[in-house]
Amino acid sequence: MLHIDNLHAAVDGKAILNGLTLHVPKGQVHAVMGPNGSGKSTLAYVLAGRPGYEVTDGTAALDGQNILAMEPEERAAAGLFLAFQYPVEVPGVGFMTFLKTAINAQRAARGEEPMPALDLLKSIRKASRALGIGDDMLGRAVNAGFSGGEKKRAEVLQMALLGPRCAILDETDSGLDVDALKTVADGVNALRSPDRAFLIITHYQRLLDHIVPDRVHVLSQGRIARSGGPDLAQEVEAQGYGAA
Amino acid sequence: MKTPVASWVTTLRAQGAGAFAAAGLPRADQDGWRHTPLPPDLMTRFGAGVAPLDVTYAGPEGLVHKLMDCYTGAVPALEWLEGLQSRPARGPLWALANAHLRDGVAVDIPEGAALDVPLVLTLTGHDGQFLMTRTAIHLGPGARATIIEHHRGAGSYWNNRLSQIVVGQGAHLTHIRFQGNSTDAVYTQTTAVEVSGGGTYEAFNFVTGAALSRLELHVDLLAPGAAARAHGLSLLRGSQLADHTTTIAHRARGCESAQHLGFILDRAARGVYQGRVRVEPGADGTDAQQRSRAVLLSDQARMATQPELEIFADDVQCAHGATCGALEGSALFYLRARGVPEAQARALLLQGFAAEVLAEVADADTRAAMEERVTTWLSAA
Repeated sequence: MLHIDNLHAAVDGKAILNGLTLHVPKGQVHAVMGPNGSGKSTLAYVLAGRPGYEVTDGTAALDGQNILAMEPEERAAAGLFLAFQYPVEVPGVGFMTFLKTAINAQRAARGEEPMPALDLLKSIRKASRALGIGDDMLGRAVNAGFSGGEKKRAEVLQMALLGPRCAILDETDSGLDVDALKTVADGVNALRSPDRAFLIITHYQRLLDHIVPDRVHVLSQGRIARSGGPDLAQEVEAQGYGAA
Repeated sequence: MKTPVASWVTTLRAQGAGAFAAAGLPRADQDGWRHTPLPPDLMTRFGAGVAPLDVTYAGPEGLVHKLMDCYTGAVPALEWLEGLQSRPARGPLWALANAHLRDGVAVDIPEGAALDVPLVLTLTGHDGQFLMTRTAIHLGPGARATIIEHHRGAGSYWNNRLSQIVVGQGAHLTHIRFQGNSTDAVYTQTTAVEVSGGGTYEAFNFVTGAALSRLELHVDLLAPGAAARAHGLSLLRGSQLADHTTTIAHRARGCESAQHLGFILDRAARGVYQGRVRVEPGADGTDAQQRSRAVLLSDQARMATQPELEIFADDVQCAHGATCGALEGSALFYLRARGVPEAQARALLLQGFAAEVLAEVADADTRAAMEERVTTWLSAA
């Protein structure tokens, strides 16, 4: 489903990804682990199309479509979702308004009618409840004054509502206590399906105790240094990235 | 035959004419006018004769009078009017307004009156006109009122406007202005407010109009517990300029003032905020907040911000914050990453920016009317 081949990317003229190749088939969860500075977040941003992240070589395709040629919003409409490591505060824009706008923008891009307001409200309420997100949070501005845990739950809520083909989770475990980690992981696990692929980017193995991956890749100096089964995560945790 | 006006009116006119002749129009090299150059040909273009005022009024009966009727005695004298209008002029535009003291309205809210519907004044300018519009507002002790002004017009005109306001002890005035003048017009407005103990003056200026506008506000917080809130949102494009210049004097202990000014500036538009807070000796326990924020949508847009604090008392809380810049790139990317097309994402962020300023508007209907205007303004880009 997600095919990344020989990807090279630079930020401010500095090469960060140096020939990264990674294939995530549909229905699978792959984890990318790596130390600080190995290029984990760059990979996430390059795939999502963040301005300032320059692809210098290689390809990335979702369902056979070259996503690197698309605008960020086109990638989202094609089914790519990035759960941000640091969800951005959007002052003055209500979380509910934001969710409605995003859902209907993606529908419009696919040539679908806007979702009827009542259906929209119902599905937002239902998905929120499953993640323990209350009405007061929905009534606030996007991520404004949300705690670390609330922000991550809000990311998973967006993922649930947008129903992407391929979701990238960038350090979704950072800043979470054990309970919040479990809530978030349960939310992600509920979305696992034979038609959906996940790429989970993490520094630590602990998230992978809750979201068990099919494959684990170790990123080093901008390319995949090792790949293996779930055991590889334990090995990295035990021996550190130096040994991997 | 014309009915003669009261002698104090004649005196004020003569004094005003003399003072303006001596001073002339404010020039860009004068203090407080550096960022706001008035067209030097204003007087020759418009100064020949003052046009009659086109004003309509909606709201409770019996509270609004034509100033001319007050001057001629056609309506019973308002005992506060002479004293208020005879206050020393602050600057040449005030003197000029006095020189042409004639048209305008007096609003008289008696002691203890609580109006549950707003007083709405609509002032319309027409091409080629020179307007000298005047408002005198008096709230007796404990009175509560909302005054909404709509300023609009077509073509090129100059409206030099002077408003004098008294908020009595424990009274509360909400003063909303929609400055939607023609984008070819020049609009100079001076507002002087005196707030008695426990009284509140709460103003919001919603600005989309005029080629050049100067909203100059002077507030005197006269006795303990007086409060002033002077907020505003300016949406400007083309070569529009909007200047908010305020002086708030804390003249007694325990007074509060707050200002929150937002600007969205597109193309070569310019915003100016000059906010002076003066805390006079003995005005302990003062709380004064100033906040100005501007979003610049083009490289040519400009914002000038100049907060000024003059503090002569102890135990005061004064704070000011100013931000100015392009739309937040990370927020824009965040929205786009959720599938919101760039143009729509920009509009949403600007709406959010506006909403934060409009949150200062207490009345939900007024706020909704402003939000609608923001949407209209954004979609006209």
